[in-house]
Amino acid sequence: MKNKIILFSIACLTFMAFKSLKNISFEVPKSWPKPHYDFTKNPLSLSKIELGRVLFYDPLLSKNNTISCASCHSQYTAFTHVDHSLSHGIDDRIGTRNSPTLMNLAWHPSFMWDGAINHLDMQALAPISHPDEMGETIETVVPKLQVSKNYRSLFYKAFGDSVITGQHTLKAISQFMLTLVSANSKYDSVMRKQTQFTAQEKNGYALFQKNCASCHAEPLFTNLQFENNGLALDTTLNDYGRMKVTKNKNDSLKFKVPTLRNIEFSYPYMHDGRFKRLSDVLKHYTSGIHHTKTLAKQLEQPIILSSNQRVDLTAFLLTLTDKEFLFNPKYSFPKNNLK
Amino acid sequence: MRFIFYVIACILLCVNVLYAQSNKKYAITFYPMYGESKLEIDSSYKLGVNDHIQIETLKFYISNIELLDKGKVVWKEQNSFHLIDISNEKTETVLCNIPLTISYDQVKFNLGIDSITNVYGALGGDLDPTKGMYWTWQSGYINFKLEGKSNVCKTRLNEFQLHLGGYQYPFNTLRSVVLDVAQNEKADISIDIKQLLKTIDLSTQHHIMSPGADAIFVSENVIKIFNIHKIEK
Repeated sequence: MKNKIILFSIACLTFMAFKSLKNISFEVPKSWPKPHYDFTKNPLSLSKIELGRVLFYDPLLSKNNTISCASCHSQYTAFTHVDHSLSHGIDDRIGTRNSPTLMNLAWHPSFMWDGAINHLDMQALAPISHPDEMGETIETVVPKLQVSKNYRSLFYKAFGDSVITGQHTLKAISQFMLTLVSANSKYDSVMRKQTQFTAQEKNGYALFQKNCASCHAEPLFTNLQFENNGLALDTTLNDYGRMKVTKNKNDSLKFKVPTLRNIEFSYPYMHDGRFKRLSDVLKHYTSGIHHTKTLAKQLEQPIILSSNQRVDLTAFLLTLTDKEFLFNPKYSFPKNNLK
Repeated sequence: MRFIFYVIACILLCVNVLYAQSNKKYAITFYPMYGESKLEIDSSYKLGVNDHIQIETLKFYISNIELLDKGKVVWKEQNSFHLIDISNEKTETVLCNIPLTISYDQVKFNLGIDSITNVYGALGGDLDPTKGMYWTWQSGYINFKLEGKSNVCKTRLNEFQLHLGGYQYPFNTLRSVVLDVAQNEKADISIDIKQLLKTIDLSTQHHIMSPGADAIFVSENVIKIFNIHKIEK
């Protein structure tokens, strides 16, 4: 009897050890808020993250096998579209918005410039099926994956099942996106008291806190809300943002506040990529605000910055660059598994 | 030691008997109808004098099935989500583990998917987004999908597409249906598309593809077309 108990305990312990090896925990940077994503519903594992990464870089997800997620979300620009104001998809079709950066998504309660997507798992469905992006459907992607020996093996490793489902495909893509955490910029080192700002950066930080931080709240550098930041309507696009989702006119011209992390590399700026340079952005906030009913209350009074202050503020914004994130091989093309 | 063995054997036997009993599945079957006749895909039906209708797609979610007796819930299906798709007859019969001995006088279910499930993330089975019942451009399940042709629709190929969904206030389209079941009846359910189409002006209301007032209006009418299916003797 005793022997059986001991054997049983050993079996339990081995099982638990195996399980902890397989599932890995999500690391929340020190003093950051609790993530919004519920990891208990989709526990991270190395094999699932790797599968998600392969899917992220695979053009098979598009109708004519030419466009992958990475086409419009390139690592070196904080996962946005290099140098394109409006992102383009299959057959050189042009969309209506600038692809958002992908960083620290575990903290986001909604996705897209208008918040139309309610959960990270469901996010990938939108670009996969948009006719100007990947022009495909998840109903077709799954059988395309199923015929691939490589994917059957990757799904088996990740989920213990080589029968591919929409649910598993989406959860794997989520897992890769969840690992895209940028929390190691100079700003973060300063906050951890490992280094110090220069005098100019320090001055810029004070200006940031006074003028920008209510919307671009630390440490994510976004309050995750929808705001009208005073951009005049582009009548070639007629994009009213959040209002399309809520059908509420109080949401007219509101867009999700983007993070400022890695802003040095994520140009062009705004939902339609209308500004190429950071100096254009600062010019907009200091002298270009277009006053309409739904304008963010923080922007009702003009922001006044001297040319020296603009230089200082820019110096601070450059401390949000996280080279470790931008060049981390964990996030790059999965050359071992994408065949 | 021997005593423990007997006890375990007894427990196993009881579990087995109980399992065998509960394993007698009680099924609820949905009967898609067009008036008095069974609804067939691509058959032509008459609506008004000059209005010919063809149905190409009818898919809808039934969730949270409950049985009531004198207003009290006597049985409730766990994890109750079913996609009924008339192009796939297998889906029309919903297997529920209802104990045969239970007596009830009402059946209750939801048409559509509740808001908690709508924001849950990626789900499998009937809720897998590959089922074609999930909006990709704006998150949320399509609760009810009816597509077809009518010569009153002045649209391309006379097509109409009614995709009803929306889980957020003020455009929540989830509705519940309660039907009385007589003593000698089985809780099989018919859904009469003719009755629904009579309440819609297809010449103007031929495309609904997002949450809003139109989706709510039609959803209110959809719940009225469910009835206990009467078997003709």
